[in-house]
This record gives sequence, structure tokens and C-alpha cells, in this order.
Amino acid sequence: MRVPIVILLLSYSISAHSQDILALKLDGSEQGKSLSEVLAEIENKNNAKFFFLPEWISSVSFAESHQGQTLEQALAYLFIGTELNFFAMYPGTVVIVKDAKQSIQRKEAIQVAIREKKTIEQYVLGDQGTSTKGNAVLKGKVIDSKTGDPLSQVNIYIVDLQVGAATDQMGNYSLAMEPGIHVLNISSIDYEPKVIDLAIYKDGQLDLELEKMARLLDEVVVQDGGALEISESRIGETQITMSSLKLAPALMGEVDIIKQIQNLPGVTTVGEAATGFNVRGGSVDQNLILYDGLPVSNSSHVFGLFSSFNPEAVRNASLYRGGIPAEYGGRASSILDIKSKDGSYEKWNGNAGIGLITSNLMINGPLQKGKTSLAASFRSTYSDWLIRAVRTDYVDLENSSVFFYDGTLKLTHKINDRTKISATGYSSKDSFTLDGDTTYQWKNLLGGVKLDYQISAAHIAEFSAGVSSYSYNVLNSDPLNGSELSFRLTSSVFKAGFNYQQGNHQLNYGWQLTYYQFNPGSLKPTSSVSSATNLSLAKQYSVENALYLSDNWAFQNRFFVDGGLRFPMFAAFGPSSINVYKPAEPLEISNVMDTLNYSRGEVSKMYFGIEPRLTLRWMAGPKSSIKFGYSRVYQYLQLITNSTAVTPVDIWQPSGYYFKPQRADQVSLGYFISSKNKIFEASAEVFYKSIGNIIDFKDGAELILNPHLETELLQGKGEAYGIETLISKNTGRFTWSMNYTYSRAFRIISGPTAGESINNGKQYPANYDQPHIANLSWKYNLSRRYFFTGNFTYHTGRPVTVPLSAFASENTTVAYFSERNSYRIPDYHRLDLALVIEGNHKRKKIASGTWVFSVYNVYARKNPYTVFFKNSGAGIPKPYQLSIIGTIFPSISYNVKF
Amino acid sequence: MNLRRWKLRWVMLFLVVSACVEPIYFEVPPAELQLVVEGMITDSPGPYTVTLSKGLALDSKSSLPMPVQNAKVTLFDDAGNSEIFTETTAGTYTSSNIIQGQVGHTYYIRVETSDGKIFESTPDKINQVGEIEEIRFEFEARTTIKPYGEIVADVFNIYVDSDAGAEEDAYVRWRFTGTFEVFTYPELHTIWTPPYTPYKAPEPCSGYILIGGPNGGKLLKVDECACCTCWVNAFEVAPQLSDTKLIGNNQFKNIKVGEVPITPTNFHKRYQVNVEQMSLSKNAFDFFKLIRAQKEGASSLFQPPSGEINGNMNPVNNSESVLGFFWASSVKKNQFLLSEVIFLI
Repeated sequence: MRVPIVILLLSYSISAHSQDILALKLDGSEQGKSLSEVLAEIENKNNAKFFFLPEWISSVSFAESHQGQTLEQALAYLFIGTELNFFAMYPGTVVIVKDAKQSIQRKEAIQVAIREKKTIEQYVLGDQGTSTKGNAVLKGKVIDSKTGDPLSQVNIYIVDLQVGAATDQMGNYSLAMEPGIHVLNISSIDYEPKVIDLAIYKDGQLDLELEKMARLLDEVVVQDGGALEISESRIGETQITMSSLKLAPALMGEVDIIKQIQNLPGVTTVGEAATGFNVRGGSVDQNLILYDGLPVSNSSHVFGLFSSFNPEAVRNASLYRGGIPAEYGGRASSILDIKSKDGSYEKWNGNAGIGLITSNLMINGPLQKGKTSLAASFRSTYSDWLIRAVRTDYVDLENSSVFFYDGTLKLTHKINDRTKISATGYSSKDSFTLDGDTTYQWKNLLGGVKLDYQISAAHIAEFSAGVSSYSYNVLNSDPLNGSELSFRLTSSVFKAGFNYQQGNHQLNYGWQLTYYQFNPGSLKPTSSVSSATNLSLAKQYSVENALYLSDNWAFQNRFFVDGGLRFPMFAAFGPSSINVYKPAEPLEISNVMDTLNYSRGEVSKMYFGIEPRLTLRWMAGPKSSIKFGYSRVYQYLQLITNSTAVTPVDIWQPSGYYFKPQRADQVSLGYFISSKNKIFEASAEVFYKSIGNIIDFKDGAELILNPHLETELLQGKGEAYGIETLISKNTGRFTWSMNYTYSRAFRIISGPTAGESINNGKQYPANYDQPHIANLSWKYNLSRRYFFTGNFTYHTGRPVTVPLSAFASENTTVAYFSERNSYRIPDYHRLDLALVIEGNHKRKKIASGTWVFSVYNVYARKNPYTVFFKNSGAGIPKPYQLSIIGTIFPSISYNVKF
Repeated sequence: MNLRRWKLRWVMLFLVVSACVEPIYFEVPPAELQLVVEGMITDSPGPYTVTLSKGLALDSKSSLPMPVQNAKVTLFDDAGNSEIFTETTAGTYTSSNIIQGQVGHTYYIRVETSDGKIFESTPDKINQVGEIEEIRFEFEARTTIKPYGEIVADVFNIYVDSDAGAEEDAYVRWRFTGTFEVFTYPELHTIWTPPYTPYKAPEPCSGYILIGGPNGGKLLKVDECACCTCWVNAFEVAPQLSDTKLIGNNQFKNIKVGEVPITPTNFHKRYQVNVEQMSLSKNAFDFFKLIRAQKEGASSLFQPPSGEINGNMNPVNNSESVLGFFWASSVKKNQFLLSEVIFLI
């Protein structure tokens, strides 16, 4: 590296009568002359002396007239945007200096930017002469150049000062720096990076527009990607990027957000065909999935083989697994906040993909240029061949069929610069017929409106209202027992959220209201001869209501605090009738003593809570930070299941007279460090979580159409703890990431009698307790257009209950099972590889296509998904394992952007 | 288009072999250490039996458990009476009609094994039960897939209508037994001795004797056949239990209690359907419910995890594992004959 050394030799004897040369007024004759020419003239006329190296100023000239201005003003103007500075050593002697350190860094940063063909923009705020004392504060908002959407988590990094900040949810940022010349790197995943050559002399506003990457599949965060994690203010938060998602090997070529989440540290799943994911020893129902702010109750297609979000319609997704912000609540383990894409305000474009299982189409564009945009996506299966092809001894899938689709629609209208209104619609449906007789169907239907309004420059409001409905049906077409079982959960949501910025404080406050209507199950015969009864469980009604307030405070860019409080309230109300059981007796139908009846609107049970939330970040050094998070969350809705994996026909049960809300307290502490050049980064995080009032089922519980679930379910305590470590290499042709998690999840359910306890009240592992989890993923750029990617996953087999022996009962042989979850299935591990070939990278082409060839489960491991029991010849039940994907599974998909 | 189709096929081929089911092994404690007790008392006249056996290991070739012999089994009622059972066959202990079960009373047993370990059952009460009013059958066409192709597997489904009884929460079990007559052809019995030519050896009970040479003689009927037909029992797969959802007007309607596969063996002559409607205590109901969940879950894609089926036997002077249930029930029986004639109609 070339290091210019600035040597100034001052060997001139100063004339005693010289005047203050910087106060010299220019006469306009300098226009069009080079600086060195003008300085030479002044030297001659005024007995002054200027010291400089000619090459510094060789390119500087007076483009315009500075008549009437002093030399000082003219020089300050000329030197803006250069690393040059000047000072009067004596009244007649002016030294032009170059700030060596800053200039080297600036030059390097600019050169890197030029080499990487990044956009470089120059901005000047204030002028040198009026430079503020102390720090200048730069503020602004970052938006998407096409859609005008505010961009959160955009990294703004001052290269020469080695400090940075990220934009908040509203796209705002604020950075304090010494007045002078700085180079800022602006980077955000999925967006073209930008370099700002900034001269700042006073506080100012700099709004930036980022352009979506033309190349769908290029990883963005190049030079300063390493700063992302450290400057990320919140512990336990991860942004899921759509671009890295599309590069990862996928099962059957289907890119999947939920599958990507399952590879994050601290996140796991019980198997390939299991709905949802488990976060830090939490159950699947402890994750709140929001799609544009509306809750999604079932995120799976085909029992979890795929997730029900079309990645083409998603802008970004954030997962909060520790230190959950105060604006979120209602689920004990994590929040997955998915935001959909706005359509383009400028021109129509689209995206189509063909895979083995599904095809998808996404189009978006302006309905009224610059004002109104539309985005629509649709994805569906081709046919039933997938399921028909799966043949096992376990169930007869010969007459089976599977079908699913999901579609989204988003309409956005900018009323004016301060007001934007958007409407989101989302629908997904699955239909799965088993053995010709039983059809499982489930549906999500979401619709909502959102209004963003900027009250003032620092005060933003967001109002939204919507309805989310989840329902399922089980149709039995047997002629004598033909029946239809249905379930429905409807949530009506209203939210008002405000964001207020004052100095280094950012306040978030708001109110959220959700009204739930449950149809916990109804059964009706589908033929006149059917023996099924017409039965309908009473509907249940409840309201969840929460106020929240949080303050986000950044202190000297080194210390960051987000403290908040959330006050949830939950009420279950009538009409309802509730059984009262004999005191000190087990909750069983035979012990019913009385029935309480509540009329319409009458509150049967109410719960209040206070949820403190706190996250801290302390920049221990320029490359490292220590973070802490604490949160308490109450959960009022739980999924009641008694099968090993969550199925679509499980019941959502609200808290109420008998079921107390779950309460989760979590503390986490982490250390984050990146290497000097930010090529590597590493983190370690420990957490402890305690959950009260967790629900588990009694042995042999019957949950479907049971009007008195309190007789089949038990409440107890849960506990989870662990350590999550991550190391990754973020730059270069070969990038990789490796994480290892050790975590445990236990439950204790101890009641007064054996029937009200599980495993006699001893601590037992939850059925998603997987102590060791390791993931490795990489991407190797073979060339600009060819990528070789892969990932390896390992986790400890999850606990199961197994038969220990058999015994004769009358004329049949019955298995005698172990205590709950006292054995484990074999460990799960799998290697996936993919080759991604992008179309050419010319910007001006009509369409660009991408091929993804992927191989799932490369070494054909038969990972057990579940253990079940079949009778052997002698009538003794024997354990068998079912592997969903028991072999190597290659697939191919093609995506085209137009 | 053709190209895509080809690709689809290629992947389908992989899918066909992808999902798979294999045995899995867990290290478990030896099953032989477990005592299994099974028995019941009804409001019908005795004798009542209790069987004692050992647990079966999962890799056991036979489903016949080892009997536990030389134990002392005593039955107690809530009026202070007791009766000692006698071991009639290995592991089977029978009462001598001293105690007869009565509705409204509770009963328990004590088992003392030959090494002095004592186990007692939790007392179980005989509840009242209603009558079976009607047994019906319905034909159902079915097919099943075998490795060699699809075959017909039609069945008769057996339904009952019955009185739910006086109990408010009627815990009822229907026990289904099928009995069918088979022809045994005892006169065609042969013995194969070296050099492995069949040697006719009619069973003496067949009424036939062999005349002529030792290998090629003729069969001559000399008496009536005493063993040409025999009755075989078929049992239900899982216990059928009542469900409050199915009661209307205190009636159980259209309860499917079993099915009879339509096979030449079953309908060679006729098939007798026996249904017993039995009252259960809550404990017994829970025990059979766990058994049913286990038996029925086996065919469900969403097999619920089975729990421990411990029953109501408890160790008294030891901490050994003991399984099984001693239950008390009131029983009402009904039967129905499916004959060839019905089958032909």
C-alpha cells in the first residue's frame, strides 16, 4: 500500500509587515484559472507565501467567479469534497495540508467502491467556514427507490471513523460525527450498496434511496457485511434475506422461509413433515407468525413439508427469539414478522418459477404511476402425483391426493408525501385425502388495511385493522359414518402504533386489540344414514388487549438501550357454561358438582399482566459488543395436540376459566465479535427460559370434540436453557457460516394424583428437546453466474415414548410403554447441495432466468421422522421408524424475472 | 413439454422409494421381570378366572406368555367376604362360586407369588348396564392391496342398538366375538413317512377306517363323524367403548362393534356374532381406552403417543413392576347368526 508522506519544509523568513492574506478579497479575475495559477498571482502581488505540493491542487481550479469573497471563503469552497485543508501559519503564510489518515481511508474506500462498481454519490452539508463546533449530526431516511418503502436494518457505516448505525423500522437513522470529509458505506441485504462521499459541516438531513439488486442472486453485503451483526442493536434478532434463501438447497426445489429459519442457531424442528419450528426449547404454538401484521395460525402446506409463504411475495422477515420488542406479544418463544412486497410504482415487472411440485407467478406494477401500485402472487401444486408416489406400509396412500395453493394481493396508494395506505390479502388452502375416505382441509384467509401517516418529521403513526381466519375440516366419506368435522378460529385485529424521535431517543408506543372467536369443533353427518351425530361445541369468545411503550436510546453510538413495558389484558366471555368440579378431586366428568352459566358478553375470566422488556448493547470495542436481553411474555392461545408432531387438525384453545395463560421469562446474554477486516464474525449467546402454566395431555387423551378439555389436559412448568454459537465468513468467493447450539427443554407436570401427573411428577424432556444442534452452510462463487451452495444439519434425535414389553389382555397383545419421552430416536443429520446458474447480468435485458439444481439428503440417510408400532406376526407390537425423505432427492427449478 | 414430463418421471421414481419404514431398536429392561395379572368378576354366576403371566419381550417369537404358577390368588368383596382361587391350569386361577358379583358392590384381588411378593388391585365396582336391543349387519365392499395386486376384501359391519342403562355417565364396553364353523375333513388325514409317500391315516373320530393295503387302501365309513366340524373364535381388534357423543335419548344407536371379513373360511357354514354389553368403572374405562388408543392409533397417520398402561394392580410389599387389570362388570349378552342363506341374499 502506498503511503504518501506529507513533508512541509518551512525555511522562509517571514516578512514583518505582511497582511492577513486570507482576508484578501478576490476581484473575479480568478475565474477559469487553476488554483496554482491564482495562488502564484497572489504571492507575487501581496508578498504572501503558500505551501503545498503541486500535485495536490493540480486538478483544482476556479470554475466560477468569487468576486467579493475572501480568499478564505473561496478556498473553503474549493476544498469541499477533497481531503485538502488550509490554515494561516502566519498572517502572510498559508499552508495547504492534506489529512493523511482520513485521506488514505477515504481514498481506499472510494477505490474499493469504484472497483466494485458501487454507486458513489457526493453530498455537501453546510460549508467549512460555518462548521459547527463539536459533532455534526446526520439524520435521514432510507427508502426503496422503486416502491418508496422505508427500509429498516440498512447499515450506515462511516469508513474512516469505523462507526456505524442501522436504520430503524421506519427507515430512519441518525449518526454523529466530526465535521469534515467522510466516506459512508450504505448497505442492505438485497439492495445495491451505495457509497456516500460526504462533506459535513453542520447538522443535516440526508435521505437516501436504495435500488433493489438487479441481480436476484448476488449476495450484497460485501465490504462491510461483517459490521451488520455487531451494529445490529437487538439481541436475538435475525433478518431472513430472500436472496440467500434462493441460493440454499431446497427440498424438491421449493424455496422456503420456515426451512431457512430452522437452520438458525437456537431454532429446530422435529422433522421434515412437521408444521412450524421450535425456538429455544419452546413449542410450535409459542411462535407468533405475522403476515403484514396479521396472525397466521398455520404456516404449513402438506403437513409442514413446505411452508405456506411464497418467497416471491415477501419483502423481508424478522425473527425475534430473545429480547422481544414491546410492540410484540402474545407468544412465549418468538415472533416471526413477515412483510410483503409493495408493487413497483414505476413499471410493471414479474417473476415466474417452475418447480417439480409447484409453479408460481408474481406480478407487480403501477396502477397509477408514482401513486398506486399492485403486487399479486399465486402458487399452486400441479397434481396429486407427489403423494401418490409416496408408498409405505404404514398407511395406504394409493387413493390419496394432495392439493394446495397460496395467493397474495397487495395494493398500495400514496395519498401524499406523508400518507400511505395499503391493503393486504392472503389466502392459502390445503386438501389432503388419505386412503380415499378421509379428507383433511385447512385454510388461512387474511385481509387487512394499513395506514402510515407522518404526523411530523419526527413523529410517525401506523394504524392497521384486519381479520385473520383459520379453519379446518375433516371429511369422512364412509357411507355409514359419513361426517364433517370442522374447526375455526377468527381473529379481528386493530393496531395503532406510534414512533417518535427526539434526539437520541426513539419512543414506540401503541395499542393493540384482538377479538377471537373460536368454533372449537362441530360434527355433522353428511348422509341420511350416517351414524354420526350432529354435534357442535359451544363457541368461545375472548379479547386480548395490550398497551405498550418503549424507549430506544442510543448513547454516543456505543451504548444502546431499549427498555419497554407491555400491559396485556385477556378476557374470556360468554355465552358459556363451565363445569365446576368437586374441590380436591381430579377434574373428571364424574366429579362435576355444578355448572356456571355466563350470558352473552359476561366475563367468565380475566387476566392482567405486566411484561417488562429490556435489551442492552454495549460496544466493547469497534469490533465487538456485549448484548443483554430480558423479556416476559404472556401467551393466551395454545395449540392442543396429542400427536408427536403438530398436525393441521389440532385445536387452538384460549385461556379461560381453567387454563391459565402461559408465562415465559427469558434472559439472554451474548458476545459478538468480528475480525479486523470484518471478514469473519463470531458470536456466543446464552439463554435461560422459564415457562409457567405449560399444557400437556393426559395419556390416551381424547381432544377432538371434547367439550371439557380441562379433563384431558394438565398444566405444569417448563424450563429451557442453552448456549448458541456462530462463526461465519462473510466476504470473498467462498463464504460460510457454522453454528452450534446446546440447549435443553424440560417439563414438570405434577398433580395431586397419578392421573394428574406425567411421569409421576418427575421432570421429563419436552418432545422437541434436542440437546445438540449444528448447522453448516456455504456458498462458493465458481464464477459470476455459477454458485455452488450447500448445507449440513445435525441434531440429536428427539425424545419418544417406546414400548418396553408386551402383555396379554383377553385375546390380544398390548404393548407396555415407557414413561413419557424417556427414549430417543436416532440422531438426525443431512447434507444438501445445490448448483445455481444465473442468467447473464446485463441490466438491459427483457428477462433473466435462474436454474437451481439441488440435491437433498445427499448421502441418503434414513432420518427417522417418527416411531410407530406395528404388530409383528406373533401379535407383539414392534417399533418401526418412518423416514419421510429416506433417500437422496434431486430436483430442479427454473425462475424467470421479467 | 415432453422434456418436462420426463424430468417429472425421473423425480417420481425417487419419491417412490423415498419414504420408508424400517424396524428400530431400543435398549429396554428385560420383560420377564414383569408380572401380568388379568381377570374379572361379573354379576353372572362364576366361576371367575384370574391369569398370571410374565411380560413378553418385544423380540419374542410367540405371543403366548409364560404362566406364573404356584401363586395364591384371593378375591375380596366390600362386605368382608373373601375366596381363594385354585390353580386349574398353569397360570390360570379359578373361583369356586363362593362369591358372586352383584351390581353396586366393589371387588378386588390379592396375588401372592411363590417368592412372597404381594400385589393388590384397586377395588372395582360393578355398575348397572342396559340391554342390547338389536344387532344388525351391513355389507361393505372393500379392496386391499397385496404385494401381488388388488384383491377383494368385503366385510359385514356389525352394528348394535342398545339401552344406555340407568347410570348417568354410562361407561360401556361392547365385547365382540365371532364364532364360525369349519369343516375339518379328519378322514383325509395323512402321515408322511420316508420315503415320503402319503400314508392315509384317518383320525379315529372321523368315523372312517382304512381298508385294503397300507398305502393305497380305501376309506370306509363305519360310524358318525365326531370331529368333522369345529368352532373357531374370532376376536375384536380393539375394545369398543361408549362415547357420550353417541347417546341420544338414553339410547346407543348404530354402534359399530365389529366386522366380519367375507371369506370362504368364515362362511363355509355359518358365522355367529356374539356381543356382550358390559358396564365399566371409570378406572376400567380408562384402562380399555388406553388399549383402544394404542390399537387404533396404529393405523393413523397421526398416531398419538401411547402412554403407560399400568392397570390397577399395585405392589404391596415390594417395588416390582406389575401390569394388568382386575375389573368388575355387569354383562348383557346377545347373539346373531350370519348364515350362508343370508350371505347369498
